[in-house]
Amino acid sequence: MRQRIRDPLHDLIEFDTERDEFEGVLWKAIQTKPFQRLRRVKQLGFSDLVYPGATHSRLAHSIGVFHTARILMEVIGRHVHKVEDSKMRQALAAALVHDLGHGPFSHAFESVGKRLGLKMADHEHVSDVLIRDSEVATVLNELGSGFANDVADIIRGRGKKNVYRAVVSSQFDADRLDYMRRDRLMTGTQHAGIDFKWLIANLQIASVPFGVDESSIGEIETFVLGPKAIFGAEAYVLGLFQLYPTVYFHKATRGAEKIFGELLYRTIMLVQDDSVSTTGLPNNHPIVRFARHPDDVESALGLDDTSVWGALPLMCEAADGAIASLAQSLRYRELGKCVDIREKVAHAIEDSGKADEEIDACCAKIKEKLTDWLGSQDANVPPIHLDEAQRSPYKLVEETQGPLDRINIYTNGGKLVDLKQRSAVVAAVKPFKLFRVYCKRSDMETQKVVDAIVDGEIGNARQ
Amino acid sequence: MRDSEKVESIIRDAGGRIVGRTKLQKVSFFLEMANLGDGFQFKYKHYGPFSEELATATEDAVALRNVSEKVCPASWGGFYSDFSLVAPEAPNGPPERLKLAKTAAEADSVELELAATALFLSDEFKDPWAETARRKPEKADGDRLSKAKELYRRLYAVVPGKLPAIV
Repeated sequence: MRQRIRDPLHDLIEFDTERDEFEGVLWKAIQTKPFQRLRRVKQLGFSDLVYPGATHSRLAHSIGVFHTARILMEVIGRHVHKVEDSKMRQALAAALVHDLGHGPFSHAFESVGKRLGLKMADHEHVSDVLIRDSEVATVLNELGSGFANDVADIIRGRGKKNVYRAVVSSQFDADRLDYMRRDRLMTGTQHAGIDFKWLIANLQIASVPFGVDESSIGEIETFVLGPKAIFGAEAYVLGLFQLYPTVYFHKATRGAEKIFGELLYRTIMLVQDDSVSTTGLPNNHPIVRFARHPDDVESALGLDDTSVWGALPLMCEAADGAIASLAQSLRYRELGKCVDIREKVAHAIEDSGKADEEIDACCAKIKEKLTDWLGSQDANVPPIHLDEAQRSPYKLVEETQGPLDRINIYTNGGKLVDLKQRSAVVAAVKPFKLFRVYCKRSDMETQKVVDAIVDGEIGNARQ
Repeated sequence: MRDSEKVESIIRDAGGRIVGRTKLQKVSFFLEMANLGDGFQFKYKHYGPFSEELATATEDAVALRNVSEKVCPASWGGFYSDFSLVAPEAPNGPPERLKLAKTAAEADSVELELAATALFLSDEFKDPWAETARRKPEKADGDRLSKAKELYRRLYAVVPGKLPAIV
């Protein structure tokens, strides 16, 4: 018997549970409680506040990554002398369960976790715990004791590197190849279209060097492109790159994340301070349980998007005014005012003919002044939230940048080079950087302070 | 002290120059572990203990033109960063901090990463060196692991009693 899943991106994803023991085990892993929880965790968090169609779940994405990983294994099969079944299976299983530990609205959730030192808000840690020591581990270890640990090691990048692991983490890994196409489909954006079949048809395997700072370590086999894939590669790099300013870093999405982050932070602090009654939440609410037992994986598993959305009506009536206000903002999409500082600086400074370094310097000075001002404010909720992020055209894999951190493509003469050497378009792409500040729309005094600091530093930079 | 100023302080106290992003991260890590640091929080990544705050602060320090970053090609095909102070100053931290920072900054980057990884894992593993070698077999290859242990002994000796005795 084959188990089948209909998927908007991949059409049909099949598991041969009757004749293939491995696929049977993976199908069982999908039925576990930790995996089923991913139905209730949206892949793109708050992006549906901007793109109403972006409601796809991490469960759908995870199964899609597995399906894409199988396709990439066929590429490996074409190029290696003999396929190593055990390594292949470990990598395929890793592709399926790689996102198991994600919390609700993961990016914001993890920021709060960092502020409060909560290990169970770190999705990598939670995934590791679940894969090694939960219902999921019991299922995976049907394939051999230690199989679950091997899978967890691959996801964490531990152990000897090999080409099968490139399916899980590389410039052409299954994760990116699924999420960029899925996110494009479900948001409806017309950016980021790629020729997936042509890229796959032109994928090859080659050894590339890696090192630490000046020191060479050795070589690893990874995915590279054949010479005819130049334009497909350009579309892939640019497409992924464009998803960041338009979808993942959209100012409304990031603004909602800031509100949620502050709401969650304050709620946890109040619960830990024995003031749960002021939050509007009952004692047995999953958020309260997590705040009380933040080191317990079961309390982390109790959190998903539904526990957050379901909490909002209660928190809107919280005795704590800050909680009520933040909950109201999130429930009714009353997002803060966003000042795109970097954009404002760039417009002002570019007009003076000054370079990127000047923009970076001006933004850094503004950040210092805003941070200093924020530190002098005494409020329950910070009056401003700073948001900073950047995205390079290539996925950065290692601490020291090298051939693993770029797209490698063969020339017609058989030499393996950085795609930037063959494509003037990709070579011209600079990292996308954002620097924004959010404040309440009604807080005119704070907006004046922000404007004064920004305008002041722009004035200094133009001199 | 602002985070970007802490980066300047690390480079200054290491002798004015640190070659490599990995080295900068691991020098800071050793200072933190010896309670001679600047308050950066480290998390484990597959390339060893890493601080996002330090990475961001380094970018800010470069953007503010207080730290110079020269990106240089490595012989193996990658690129490494050479950090130095734009306005060189004499080191002015406590003597132990200066000695520890300088010793770490002068070490081989791979050995330093291995030593830092073993230190990070020492809370959780009885034999953190075996676990380091298991997680990073390519980097621990040959005599690198034994050289990393030697390096750790030197760092330990520089700040007696401040680092755990894991060798």
